[in-house]
This record gives sequence, C-alpha cells and structure tokens, in this order.
Amino acid sequence: MGEIFDPRKVFGQAVTEIAGTNRRVVVFSADSGKSSGFGEFMKKYPERYYECGIMEQGVVGMAAGMATAGIIPVFCAIAPFVTCRPYEMVRNDMGYMRQNVKLVGRNCGFTYSDLGATHQSLDDFAIMRMIPGMTVIAPQDPNEIKAAVRAMIKHEGPVYMRIGNPKIPNIMPEKEFIIGKGSILEEGRDITIISTGGTTAAVLDAVSGLKEIGISVRVIGMPTVYPLDSELVKESAEKTGVVLTVEEHYAEGGLGTLVSEACSELTNTKVFRLGVPAVYATTGSYEELLYYYHLDAEGIAGKVRKILAG
Amino acid sequence: MQDQKRIKQLELYAAKCRQNVLRMIRAGGHGHVGGALSVMDVVTALYFDKMNIAPENPKKEERDRFLLSAGHKCLSQYAALAERGYFDKDILDTYGTFKSRIPGHPDMHKLPGVEANTGALGHGISIAAGMAMAAKLKGTDYHVYAVTGDGELPEGSNWEAAAASGKFGLDNLTVFVDNNGLQISGRVADVMNMDDIAGKFRAFGWGTAEINGNCMEEVVDILDHLPVQEGKPTAVIMHTTKAKGLYVGENKAEFHFWNPAPEDLDKADHDLELVVEELEKELEE
Repeated sequence: MGEIFDPRKVFGQAVTEIAGTNRRVVVFSADSGKSSGFGEFMKKYPERYYECGIMEQGVVGMAAGMATAGIIPVFCAIAPFVTCRPYEMVRNDMGYMRQNVKLVGRNCGFTYSDLGATHQSLDDFAIMRMIPGMTVIAPQDPNEIKAAVRAMIKHEGPVYMRIGNPKIPNIMPEKEFIIGKGSILEEGRDITIISTGGTTAAVLDAVSGLKEIGISVRVIGMPTVYPLDSELVKESAEKTGVVLTVEEHYAEGGLGTLVSEACSELTNTKVFRLGVPAVYATTGSYEELLYYYHLDAEGIAGKVRKILAG
Repeated sequence: MQDQKRIKQLELYAAKCRQNVLRMIRAGGHGHVGGALSVMDVVTALYFDKMNIAPENPKKEERDRFLLSAGHKCLSQYAALAERGYFDKDILDTYGTFKSRIPGHPDMHKLPGVEANTGALGHGISIAAGMAMAAKLKGTDYHVYAVTGDGELPEGSNWEAAAASGKFGLDNLTVFVDNNGLQISGRVADVMNMDDIAGKFRAFGWGTAEINGNCMEEVVDILDHLPVQEGKPTAVIMHTTKAKGLYVGENKAEFHFWNPAPEDLDKADHDLELVVEELEKELEE
C-alpha cells in the first residue's frame, strides 16, 4: 500500500487552492471548519470564512442567499448534519432555488463507526438524489477528491459530495473528474461490480483475489451517484448479465437502487445490491463494521462467489 | 412629520395594491388574503418609495432585495410588482390557473422581481442574511428587506439566522415582523406565545423598533431611519390588522385563507374603490 491521506485534509486543501484564484469561493462552518480541513483557508482567507456555530439549517439558507449574488459557498460538516438535519433547506433553498452551493458531508457512511447511528450517514445518497437538479458525488480516493473539488466548483448548480474520515491510499492516477461519468477500472466477463466512494478500494482488492480463482470481474468506478452514468451501467449489464453494486450506504435507496432503475428495462440482466440492511448500524471499529456488513474485500468476494454459484 | 403628499400617494398605491390582491383572489377563487393585506402598506412603501430597484432591469446587481419569509403573503408582493410595472397586470388574472407565473407561493424562476422561493416557514431570514453577507463581501451597498409573520417565529431556524445576522453585523438587513397576532389556529399568543419579540431580536444583537404597520406615516418614518442602530441588523415589529382593508375579514383568524362568495368580493371591491377615489381626490386638492 502506498502513502495514505486524510480525505478531509485533501478536500480542505483542494478548496483552499481553488480559493486562491477564484475569489467567489467562500467557506461556511458550523463549528466544523477545522475538522473539515479548512485550517489553512481560515488563516489565508479570514474574510471569506464564516463561522456560524452549530446551526446547519441556518447555514444552508445563508449559503443559498449568498449564492443568489454569485458567491460560491462551500459548507462541510459531519454528513448527517448537512443532509438530514437541514434537508428542507437543501431541498428548497439550494434545490428549488437552483443555487450554486456546495454541500459536503464528511465522516460519511459509518466511518464514525464507534459514535453510533446519530453520526453515521447511510441514507445521504437516497435523500439527496431525490432533489431535482442536485448532483451527488462520492470520490473514491485522494486524487479523485482533489479533481472532484475542482469539478464541483466549476459546475453551476447545487452539489452534494461525501467523503470519509480514515486515511486512504490513492488507487487511481489523478485525472479530470467528469460529473456524470463512471469509468471502467478493470475489464472482466463474469460479473460487473459497480462501486462508489471509499468502497472501490476494497472492491479492487476483492477482484484481484477473485482473479486468482478464475473469476473475471468488470469493475466500474462510479464516483457520480446522481445523475447516474446509465449508459455505462446498461452497457456493462448487457455485457456480463450480472451486476453487483457495492456501497457504504443502505442497500436500498442509493447506488444499488439507481443501478436497478437503470437496468429495469433490460432483459436477461440481474442486479444484486451489497450495502447495509435497513437498520441503525451497530458500533465498533471501522474495520469491524466493514467486516460485519460484508463491505470489506473478503465480504465483497464472498458475495460475488455466492452470486455466481447461483 | 413626513411630507403629507408623499404619504397620501403611498396610501393610494397601497389601496391599488389591495385591489390587485382582490383581483387575484377573484381569479383563483381563494387565497391567503389575511397576511397579504396586513403587510401591504410596508410592501408598498418599499417598492414605491424606499428600494433602489429598476423594474425594467429586475436583476440589476446593486438592487435592493425584498423577500417574504412568510411566502404565503405573496399576493402582496405580486400586487406591488404588478403595480410597479414589473409585469403586465393581466398576469394577475392567472392566479390559481395551470402553470400560472404567480403560484400560491413565490417562485423566483417564474416572475421578475421575486428573489427567493419561500413558503416553507423559517427560511427567509437565513436567505436574506446570506444576501446581505454577499453585499458586504462584494463591497456593494444594497439593502435586504424581509417580511416574516409572527406565527412563523416558533420555527427555530429563524433564531439561527437571527444569531448569525447579529454576529456578522448585518446592518444592511431589515426584517419586518407582521405582528397581526393571528394565525390559522387562532391567537398567536395562545398557539405559541413568542413575546417579547423585539426583546428576543435585541438579545441576538439586533436593533429594534415597534410601529403601527398599517400607518403609512410610521412605515415611511422607520424606513427613513434604517438601520435603527449602527452596525446591527434591524427588526421592525409591525403591529398590524390581519386582512387590513377587507372590512368583513379584518382581525379575524379565519381570514388567513379566504374562499369568498362573489357578493363578498363585490362588496370588498366597492369598499376599496371608495378608498381609492377618496385618496385621488385628496391628492388633487
């Protein structure tokens, strides 16, 4: 494994870098700025850093108000607190008003494993994708986080991005992030795995193990959850006949559901969804939770073997 | 003492705007009349006297902004925008029709002059604060005016915005609280008493004033003296009469939303026509 990076720091640095050339970029904090990697931003651009204390509903509204005047606000905090808590503000002030606000949920999924269900976010894809005009992205490694930040700032319109907390390695070279496009990370014949966010690294690990026992897997990295790259999904489904989605999210309502929707008119295609069942997830170390919910390489490989064994 | 002609002229505009409100109610068959009429005087004074706006260029960058946190009072804004020439008055007759540009809550993408999509309560002060923050960041000196209802104040998000506006010293933000004392279920004081409203805003770092919101002279006077405290946002608590100018419904909670019989509308139109004629006569003298 190569060098590992804190996704929050990578994110915060990327925003700070862009803010050097784009004076329209401002940062909102709900007592969440330092932990979102904005330490340098606070020092370099104090006039564009708004510390509001813990008031996520107010922050989303203010950010939308600022955006009406051409400012590009970025607001990052713990994922459920920028999604569930201010949902109506996101839906109306960002979505319905079509405002150029960038909302970032950090410590996503159950990366806040031991803090419990209040701090875990396993429904953010599901609720954010229901907002018309919203873009939902989940970059898969540090390189992609940097590229995704650039793409999200360049994109005109509301965006929700989720990032994790534990340090992660790069799994791909740095390249341009194109919103709405997935990419083929591995070619294969027997099954397609479609993954997003931090789980893609585990998928690639699982696939290298499966290769050794003669199972050929096509791997699609899908860092834009919504709008989904339906063309790539359908092409892959038709090619391998069987699709497995993998996400650190409920198995219902997220990437798996979107892929199922995309494949619903295809014949001779089966979609399986690997995610967290509809429960308030248990607590423990992050690794324990990944293992428990079969979202580590071993669990993913096991799921593939089970599917292909029929 | 304000120039009496200026006051009379604004009273005339307000009466004509009230006529516009009834015109929309007639077109749609119903509507949120009570709150629209209680705030009609301040909305008129803003659009016809105070705000730096250009109806022919509604997106002018340095324009003053007006928005309704209580989006259901939108008939007041539509009425003023139409009277001020933002759009053809024929649009008023589309209220309640399929794909109308003047829906039951305002939509900024449908109508020039509308600055925010409100309706869900407790959103407007935050949005207005963000607009005011943008003005300060950009070094432009526009002012942001928002109207909120007293029944809306229990929404906690209002007070999040109040705290932030105080912290950031948004003296380019003024919030008018339509304190007509009534909401759908009855008296605000019984439903959820939020008194002392001015004291609450002051505690969050605002300057405050209390006026009779249906007295044009008092409305104009406060608009001439904003912000009431240097470096602070202003909350103007407007004591108003719900459904002001609709005599059958004044100060009645059930006139929050009105499904009028045609004869009631005819009577209300007639009453307002008399007010308009009287004011026109006084202005000629």
